[in-house]
Amino acid sequence: MTLLSDIGRFLLMLKGMFKKLENRRMYSKELMRQCTEIGFGSLGIVTIISVFIGAVSTIQTAYQLVSPLIPISTIAQIVRDTVILEFAPTLVCVVLAGVAGSRIASELGNMRVSEQIDALEIMGINTKTYLILPKIIAAMLMIPLLVIIAMVLGIWGGRLAGTAAGIISPNMYDKGLTSDFLPYNVFFALTKSYVFAFILSSIPAFYGYHVRGGALEIGKASTKAVVVSCVLILFADYILSALLL
Amino acid sequence: MIEVKNIQKKFADKVVIEEVSARMEAGRCNLIIGASGSGKTVLMKCMVGLLNPDQGSIFYHGNNFTTMDTEAKTLIRKEIGMLFQGSALFDSLTVEENIMFPLNMFTKDTTGEKIKRVNEVLDRVNLSGVNKKYPAELSGGMKKRVALARAVVLNPKYLFCDEPNSGLDPQTSLVIDKLIRELTVEYQITTVVNTHDMNSVMEIGDYILYMYQGKKEWEGTRKEIIFSKNQRLNDFIFASEFLRDAKDMRMLEETGKIPNERDMDQMTRP
Repeated sequence: MTLLSDIGRFLLMLKGMFKKLENRRMYSKELMRQCTEIGFGSLGIVTIISVFIGAVSTIQTAYQLVSPLIPISTIAQIVRDTVILEFAPTLVCVVLAGVAGSRIASELGNMRVSEQIDALEIMGINTKTYLILPKIIAAMLMIPLLVIIAMVLGIWGGRLAGTAAGIISPNMYDKGLTSDFLPYNVFFALTKSYVFAFILSSIPAFYGYHVRGGALEIGKASTKAVVVSCVLILFADYILSALLL
Repeated sequence: MIEVKNIQKKFADKVVIEEVSARMEAGRCNLIIGASGSGKTVLMKCMVGLLNPDQGSIFYHGNNFTTMDTEAKTLIRKEIGMLFQGSALFDSLTVEENIMFPLNMFTKDTTGEKIKRVNEVLDRVNLSGVNKKYPAELSGGMKKRVALARAVVLNPKYLFCDEPNSGLDPQTSLVIDKLIRELTVEYQITTVVNTHDMNSVMEIGDYILYMYQGKKEWEGTRKEIIFSKNQRLNDFIFASEFLRDAKDMRMLEETGKIPNERDMDQMTRP
């Protein structure tokens, strides 16, 4: 019953976001603020994760490719495809669910508990449109960009680690990268990143917006938001893979 | 003018407000008083539309607020200013940005005009020069005054104050009470104050609605409250022995105010 009721309230929240804007300039300003917080605010962690994931992928692939019949450039192909198909969109979004998701849930939860949302309602502002919609739009604009950055950095990290460890030469790595490249994989990764961006922004917004109580409940809502977002991201990952690949 | 007719509100099976009616006039401070849990905050939230009453109607200048569609409610809400118990200032914005927020959202004024208006209201609440400070840098009383400035920046017709003195010392409470009263009279606002601060009751209560366990127990003016024979009201208002003694001595009847120690000494001096 709680699950059904939560789904119903979630859908009503989404419906409630699409109302007439009181002042477009104020909403654009809020959208820009959210883009900065979600996009630039997560750039550091995305960079670190991507480079290391690429590096580890190269070393581990090389460790498993022991047959002399398989050309060494295959390492680059495997790293490229795993980074593009899985690591960049999924792992980065799971991490972002923790970074951006918890921030969204705690920001809205704090606003709810300290009556700031009520204050906005009293002013005649549609709080769902003003507070939630810019966060979802900002996530859907910035997260695919972060995923593209993660792809590039992951592949570059693999090249760096491969050369540093003497596993593969830069030329061989570049040759492997360009052979049998399927642009559809990038399209698939970006499709996933849009879906994940929606999940990791709307789910925390839902839990944060509906917080009741005090500081303890904000913490609980934040944790629940991250857990539910991660589970849904993994579930959506499976569904999208089954449908699109 | 706000009129509340037979409002009822339940949470699950628990009736929190039962058949409450009241008439709150413009240019007056209308107080809702009562013990914690008596339903006064729920009543106020129903009045401003944060909660929907299960039964009854609320009229703003004769227009039924409870049956209005969302757009019409939004128009009424633009005429409402509200001072929250915890001030509800936006943490990430400066004092100036907080007060300017409703102006940015609902007016087409130039930045210069908005800043001028912000300075006017800040000056009105005796807080000039704090424009660039953040709420975290202000004291409780200053936060309340900034919140009051934000509530009146658009010249509202209705002002709601939820426990405006909670957490404040008696002197600061008096300052806030005086400000609420002055603004009410100056701009002919219909002000509704939710309080259990007895100084406020005696200082600004033009019309007082006493709630007891979700029901309207008594209504009247601050003068009438002194002569009231309602036992529950007397137990609530004159809760301390000091106040009961003062009432017994009919001092309240003479002054209309809660006495301080010096007044008591003068009264008891031979």
